[in-house]
Amino acid sequence: MTLDLPSTREEAWRWADLGGIAAAAALTPITRPDAQFLDLPGAKLLFVDGVLDDAASDLHRVCVGDLTPGAHALGKRATRGWSLHLDAQAVAHPVQVVHVATGGDNHVAAEIVLDTDTSAQVVETFVGAGWSNRNTRIRLGKAARLMRAVRMTQGAGFVTLRDEAELGEGASLIGTMLAAGDQGVRIDAAITLAGEGGYAEYGGALLTRDRLKQECAVRVRHAEPNGQSHQLWRAVAADQSQASLAAAVEVARHAQKTDGEQSLRGLLLHRTATVNLKPELEIFADDVKCAHGATVGELDARALFYMASRGIPAPRAKALLTKAFVADALDRIADETVRAAFAADADAWLESAL
Amino acid sequence: MLKIENLHAEIDGKEILKGLSLEVNAGEIHAIMGPNGAGKSTLGYVLGGRPGYEVTAGSITFNGEDLLEKEPHERAAAGVFLGFQYPVEIPGVSNVQFLRESLNAQRTSRGEKPLSGAEFLKLARAQADALGLQQDMLKRPVNVGFSGGEKKRNEMVQMGIIDPAFAILDETDSGLDIDALRIVGDGINRIMRKPTKAVLLITHYQRLLDYVQPDRVHVLADGRITRSGGPELAHELERQGYAEVAA
Amino acid sequence: MATKNAEAHAAVAKKYEWGFATDIEQDFAPKGLNEDTVRYISAKKNEPEWMLDWRLKAFRVWQTLEAPDWAKLNVPPIDYQDAYYYAEPKVKKTIASLDELDPEIRRTYEKLGIPIAEQEVLAGVEGARKVAVDAVFDSVSVATTFRAELKAAGVIFLSISEAIREYPELVKKWLGKVVPQRDNYFATLNSAVFSDGTFVYVPKGVRCPMELSTYFRINAENTGQFERTLIVADEGAYVSYLEGCTAPMRDENQLHAAVVELVAMDDAEIKYSTVQNWYPGDENGVGGIYNFVTKRALCQGRNSKVSWTQVETGSAITWKYPSCVLAGDGSVGEFYSVAVTNNRQQADTGTKMIHLGKNTKSTIVSKGISAGRSDNTYRGLVRVAASAENVRNFTQCDSLLLSDQCGAHTVPYIEVKNPSAQIEHEATTSKISEDQLFYAMSRGLDAEAAVALIVNGFAREVLQQLPMEFAVEAQKLLGISLEGSVG
Repeated sequence: MTLDLPSTREEAWRWADLGGIAAAAALTPITRPDAQFLDLPGAKLLFVDGVLDDAASDLHRVCVGDLTPGAHALGKRATRGWSLHLDAQAVAHPVQVVHVATGGDNHVAAEIVLDTDTSAQVVETFVGAGWSNRNTRIRLGKAARLMRAVRMTQGAGFVTLRDEAELGEGASLIGTMLAAGDQGVRIDAAITLAGEGGYAEYGGALLTRDRLKQECAVRVRHAEPNGQSHQLWRAVAADQSQASLAAAVEVARHAQKTDGEQSLRGLLLHRTATVNLKPELEIFADDVKCAHGATVGELDARALFYMASRGIPAPRAKALLTKAFVADALDRIADETVRAAFAADADAWLESAL
Repeated sequence: MLKIENLHAEIDGKEILKGLSLEVNAGEIHAIMGPNGAGKSTLGYVLGGRPGYEVTAGSITFNGEDLLEKEPHERAAAGVFLGFQYPVEIPGVSNVQFLRESLNAQRTSRGEKPLSGAEFLKLARAQADALGLQQDMLKRPVNVGFSGGEKKRNEMVQMGIIDPAFAILDETDSGLDIDALRIVGDGINRIMRKPTKAVLLITHYQRLLDYVQPDRVHVLADGRITRSGGPELAHELERQGYAEVAA
Repeated sequence: MATKNAEAHAAVAKKYEWGFATDIEQDFAPKGLNEDTVRYISAKKNEPEWMLDWRLKAFRVWQTLEAPDWAKLNVPPIDYQDAYYYAEPKVKKTIASLDELDPEIRRTYEKLGIPIAEQEVLAGVEGARKVAVDAVFDSVSVATTFRAELKAAGVIFLSISEAIREYPELVKKWLGKVVPQRDNYFATLNSAVFSDGTFVYVPKGVRCPMELSTYFRINAENTGQFERTLIVADEGAYVSYLEGCTAPMRDENQLHAAVVELVAMDDAEIKYSTVQNWYPGDENGVGGIYNFVTKRALCQGRNSKVSWTQVETGSAITWKYPSCVLAGDGSVGEFYSVAVTNNRQQADTGTKMIHLGKNTKSTIVSKGISAGRSDNTYRGLVRVAASAENVRNFTQCDSLLLSDQCGAHTVPYIEVKNPSAQIEHEATTSKISEDQLFYAMSRGLDAEAAVALIVNGFAREVLQQLPMEFAVEAQKLLGISLEGSVG
């Protein structure tokens, strides 16, 4: 099989693990793991190797069918998938999508279109093994709101996400990603604040170990004035793994009064691990507030000693501090059930990695 | 209870403590006084086991056990509490969580039953009230955004909850106004002045000693105890300065 | 910023003050670039065989390379065959004193405000600060002062051509060791055709008794300028080197591809300061220098230190990343930069701090000021190798925008392989606030003066790193560069 992947010589793919994707696509089949939905009302979709399992799914307002492929190097492979279209004032229940992979590669497209004043919540979960490739197109109308949370907890393989979102006037997108499995990850997103006063929060936590590579490559473009964007990412790298956070803010010529913020922080658990950061600003308007902060380091030795002096053993102190480090990125999930599930995944990962 | 003999300790190869000996018995409160740079804080950190503070000679025993053998958290479990001069901020970890983890880790290592959430909260609230620390401070991240005085009170709340057998309090009076000083002083007396417990107060000024009456006062200068005496020594120091008395 | 910063606009459009061409005879190499050009240059400079071989090797590599793919820059294709690679003012003999200098050149310097003639006088004043000037007029060093005093201290301060002849072993040992011949397209080109430049060697334990300074100036039409600088500070040595540039007005773009190599041994320190004010082109972007420079320092020794400070106000296109390879344990790298772009200027500049040794530290402070329709990019890399314990880096990148037609970009890369590293990066983007402008103007400053004041405040952290005489010049330059940006 030739995968025709991009090259790491291209700037946007500098830290990508293209070999990891190819290896994931070549994984031999495994028995289908259990997939569980969270206890929430609303639509439930189960995709097994990219194909909808009708018996286990409950579509509500979601449709499944062919979708127009995009132009993205990986995303264009996904031509079929699910879509949610809410007309003005429609009420939506949460949509849960569980993606189960049992080896090989699978590709699913998705389209979320929210008209004026509507709001929706989407929760996606990845389990299994193989290369799971997703292309998600999001269009938010005036004042529409989407809360989307994705957790990647495959036991092996690779998950690649391509998100393309366009936000209308006053629309808001809150995307939270958690990579807490044993798979490689690339989260590739292009978010455009195309209407005035758009609001985007896009971030999450990458927890990586062994020889895995995980990365985000996110670009938020402010095309119109008065927009706000926040990109808050945390990376924890153990063993020989590599976590890369590349987040860019672009402010177009007349997108005045933009407030773009980035906070990228990496934590290295072992001296064999690597963290890469690239907080990029590209600014063409002069009346904007754009700031970014980026740090890499290990846990604060003073805090560890302070905790030890209060009787907390070193591994526990490490776990607590690491949890706190990651928690920032997951706190933005509004739904308590979803937030608890994500926090539990992160905790479980940390418990086993530390 | 605590016995220090001929203690030599260095940081980055520089010797700070140069043969310090000291014995503190149960039921006693000792004050260590001395000029800046004499090694007062170093003594506190060596007792707490802070990494980077290397003991090159001498011994420290606590209730007959070798304290230097123990990891910092094992010293805490053994009953040693170190009150920090500059309490550390820990963003993202709430005070309640921090203290409950601390207390239960100590209890578990002593073979005691961990406290439930409700039991702990009751205890924490009572201690916070006694030290005039607002309840909502318990929920906030450890020391983050606390004023200097609040941080010191928070140390005392922690001491009240953990209820140690031996406390080393490093410049606990610094950053406190006169009211807070009295509250903290009362707290030390209430929590620690018991026949089974002991305290080592490390301080530059004698003003905390107006509220916490020491049984013994020691002058620490150039890494050694140069003089010891009763409470009157603190007043003498205050009047005459360290240069006179320590010499 | 529709309102007060509109006032800030009018001040940047002033003509290039120092644009004039000096009329003296030139001795040109034939136009175009081939092996014969390289041989011509080498022969012209009476170079030994090994040097010619070195150049030819570089030239052959260069022929296999492709011109770089520009990230943020818009560079018109350069015809390397349509340029001269060597021009020498017709000075027949080396001169013993400044009096023998071509009066035309002297006048040029005077117009630029470079007080060469005064310098020896100044040097005679008890306690006065001394600056030795190795003046590079186009390609060849034509005047060198203070040589005697430096010689007494054991400091070697020569043109690189002289050094190749007089100290071949030293040059051979270090040339191309910090910036290898095949490092990048322009460094390779420079290695093949470098015309002249500066060589400094400060021996063990010597603190160079004066600040060393070279003024570069591009003068001949269509002449590529390929300076080569090599500075070696031996154990415990200290040297401060000042580099300043201005250029006459031209309609044709000129290529400048310099290579600067610094080597610091145990406990040595090199401070390298640059004020760069080459002709940036007119308000429509016509003319102006292309400045593609490779500057790199090797902190080879334990506890060695290299500090780069630059004030970049000129050039049509600037592509420049003064970097430090921190190989010695405890070595320190610093980069302080102010880059001003106006009209159609493009600047892509920053630094690379490569941490290899234990306990190495780096500090990066970058201040970008964009006006007119210009683009100003900070591009940087902080890399911590797995072997490098206890690395500390602090990076601060601030951008100031003076118009709604310009761009400010920050592209920092951070790559860390050792957990004991502490890396902090902060960046901000802002405009001059109306409150600041109004406050300054209500105290009696006009719009231009107010902007200059605020911009100088914005850049203060960097300017204060410059040696005193440079700091004053740099402050003036910031004001001049931004004239017409307020309005």
